[in-house]
Amino acid sequence: MVEVTIDPTTRIEGHHGMELEVEEGAVTEARSTMKMFRGAEIITVGRSPRDAAQLTGKVCGVCFICHRIGSARAAEDAARNAGAFDGPPENAQILRDAVEGIFFLWNHAIHLFALVGPDYSDAVADTGFERLDPLEGAGYVGALENQRKLMQALAEFGGRAPHPLAFIPGGVATHPDAATVETVKSRVREVSEWLGPTEAVPEVLENVQNGEFDPELGEGLHDIVSILVAAAREGTADLGSGPNRYYSNGLFRLPDSGERIFKRGVYRDGSVERLTKDEIVDGITEHTEYSWYTDDSGGSPTEAKPPEPEPEKENAYSWGKAPRFEGQTMEVGPLARLAISGYDPFDLRANLGGGPAESNTLNRLVARAQEALIVRDRVLDLLGAFDPNEPLMADFPDNFTGKGVGLWEPSRGTLSHYMDVEDGTIERYQIITPTLWNIGPRDGEGNPSIIEGAIVGDEVDDVEDPLNVMRTIRSFDPCLACSVHIRSPDAEYETTVEPPKPGDEQCVVNTDG
Amino acid sequence: MVSDYSTEVASALKQATDGELELVWLQGQSCSGCTISMLQGQYPTLEETLREFRMEVTFHPTLMPEQGEAAIESMSTSPDVLVLEGSVPTEVPSAATLGERPDGTSKPLVDWVQELAPEAEYVIGVGNCASFGGWPAAENKNRLYGNESVTGAKGLQFEQREQPGVLGPDFTAGSGLPVINLGGCPPHPDYMLLTIATVLNGHTPELDQYNRPKPFYEPLVHDNCKWRGYFDRGEFADKPGDKGCLYKVGCAGPYTHCDDQDRLWNDGTSVCLNVGAPCVGCMEPGFWDRFQPLDKEVERQSFVGPVTPEDAGWAALVATGVGIGAHAARKLTGYGKFEKGDEGDTSDGTDEERTSPDAGTEPGTETGDDRTE
Repeated sequence: MVEVTIDPTTRIEGHHGMELEVEEGAVTEARSTMKMFRGAEIITVGRSPRDAAQLTGKVCGVCFICHRIGSARAAEDAARNAGAFDGPPENAQILRDAVEGIFFLWNHAIHLFALVGPDYSDAVADTGFERLDPLEGAGYVGALENQRKLMQALAEFGGRAPHPLAFIPGGVATHPDAATVETVKSRVREVSEWLGPTEAVPEVLENVQNGEFDPELGEGLHDIVSILVAAAREGTADLGSGPNRYYSNGLFRLPDSGERIFKRGVYRDGSVERLTKDEIVDGITEHTEYSWYTDDSGGSPTEAKPPEPEPEKENAYSWGKAPRFEGQTMEVGPLARLAISGYDPFDLRANLGGGPAESNTLNRLVARAQEALIVRDRVLDLLGAFDPNEPLMADFPDNFTGKGVGLWEPSRGTLSHYMDVEDGTIERYQIITPTLWNIGPRDGEGNPSIIEGAIVGDEVDDVEDPLNVMRTIRSFDPCLACSVHIRSPDAEYETTVEPPKPGDEQCVVNTDG
Repeated sequence: MVSDYSTEVASALKQATDGELELVWLQGQSCSGCTISMLQGQYPTLEETLREFRMEVTFHPTLMPEQGEAAIESMSTSPDVLVLEGSVPTEVPSAATLGERPDGTSKPLVDWVQELAPEAEYVIGVGNCASFGGWPAAENKNRLYGNESVTGAKGLQFEQREQPGVLGPDFTAGSGLPVINLGGCPPHPDYMLLTIATVLNGHTPELDQYNRPKPFYEPLVHDNCKWRGYFDRGEFADKPGDKGCLYKVGCAGPYTHCDDQDRLWNDGTSVCLNVGAPCVGCMEPGFWDRFQPLDKEVERQSFVGPVTPEDAGWAALVATGVGIGAHAARKLTGYGKFEKGDEGDTSDGTDEERTSPDAGTEPGTETGDDRTE
């Protein structure tokens, strides 16, 4: 048995590490460690519900809009339950959906190109796909240019990005005029044109497979499809298998019916269960047996106290808690949303990934690409439905007593904020993030988290180069870039593997002792 | 090449292309927001900076193709510039770790900072967390589980408005400069790229009392605010988004120093106040608790005696008359004035708070010679 320690696995909000046990060429056990703690929930307690949105919005500089809106929704829910608030204006909800959609495009572009793309580039993985080379490839650079345009679109409404301030309980502070909305639309269209026409996907797929590139069909599309083709060729459909259980809070309400484009519910045992908000909230518990928090810090997020740190706790290995739905792990993110909603554009997951609801490394990438295509059109619809003359802000009460839950569905997966307010002051706060669902630690029963389970069974032909394990980790969009530090349990030998860099023909391996 | 970009950032960076210059970027208790902000920099972009100007980033957890242990090995042990994003936990050191110590245990950020900072030529704290502690250092108001701040988070050389932070008040990097603080949640990308370019050129940015480069952090948000006319007329919004000055719904603009109202964000797109969002004071040391509750009129802790907002408007107007002129002059001169060695005494001769509109009633202290050079 060889113990493999991956630290740091960077590119998520915070610090992360992964420990693997490898036996006979396959991973037999994995432990996912979140290595940063700041205490957002503890800091939020004792403050104004309005300040919570500002504070928790800064929990993540990558997913900034999502937390801000999730917290605002929790505050609004608490005030509504207290009978002190009627809800934000419909127009504000449309704008929130629209900016979340723009954010989806931004995050998917960054993830596919800057974080996952290099894994399948010529420079790193010798695949022949030079446009994906980090910082040098035309595709990579094009994605960075386009992410700026999307951030500019977000700044039109939010004042700046990252960390826009305009999204607060009661609605949205800004009053964009028709010209501003048009500016945002044109930004989204520019990025959409870079991406390419949706209907060109089959032709682009054929081009990529034949080594041809037609920029008329969309540079972004060509590069994204290149990633998928390279990933398929590298066998990632057989990696990173999850339990095929998914959960989504749903997103993008149709203004007329309230129906969501992405459905709310869970998928398990081969079928979809549409769930109400209450059913979702009632089903969630958090476990802290393997977390650096006291054992009584877990439980239902509607009741549990803010997490109490216990950094010296025996057997604990993560600053993350272990959320479960009705006791089960649930995968969240684009694959979860599309599986629950029944979308598989061009049957890409059915044809490439072994089935539209199959949880594996390739399908997570395919779903992210498919979702980018779905969402860019939805954003323009939402912006079209937005009326610059309608109100965007309702009076939010200063003083009330109530409990609220804000469910939201950011690009990386489900997000929920829980807030208890007494006399206008927050008495209790809880946040459950998508990353917790996917890469948290084991639960009280010892059941591994989604990522800990997905990596088990991944073949490791060469323990000094478990590239496929890293591809699996990255497919979850915790955005990990890992080097590998391998040593035996009794430290009889120590080997350091240097992952490939642009320009290297292969891995450079340094062996000490 | 400079003509391709033709900005002060590019000009400054161009001068730094004589040799490879090594930069290490660490993340403490961070949200990666400063990195994401830096990715929004334009003219030049970050990728142009790396590619064309030969700034060698030997470690950056989000950007480098090298990863993990290999990344740590490639990290310069005596970098030209050490950048920290995020605060450093001191009471719970395991609350931010990176890689391993020789004994296999996780290595806390505080160890990394203590090791690398003395070896660096320049040390830069990007963002409010690395500079002053930021939100991880915000007060634990209900004293849950005892601690005043949950993890004992500090900035590199400041804890909120006070020294010392992790490195102590007397710390100086190889250049002789203390930690250069780029407050902000996040700071503007220009602040980061231009400051890095400046120090790489061997120039010394003139710093204020919180060690922030003055060209960015001297103007008051209030001075150039879109809503300033409403303030001066005493017309105040009842809630964010309403017409009127946002002072009474929590705007910290009269207490917050940065030039974002002029510079604007995301390639000149907008700024917080332009979309009806009250300034939360994120550029200032002491942000969060100094200005909270963020939705209520900021306690006028810096005023001497009772001053009405209308008075404050008048007082600030006096200051603005001087301030705008000074700012315009400075924009023209850019960073070229910060020649090494000629910075002299960078203090303005007073430790007084210079963060309130009424400072303008004594223009001599607020707008001394250092603003108009």
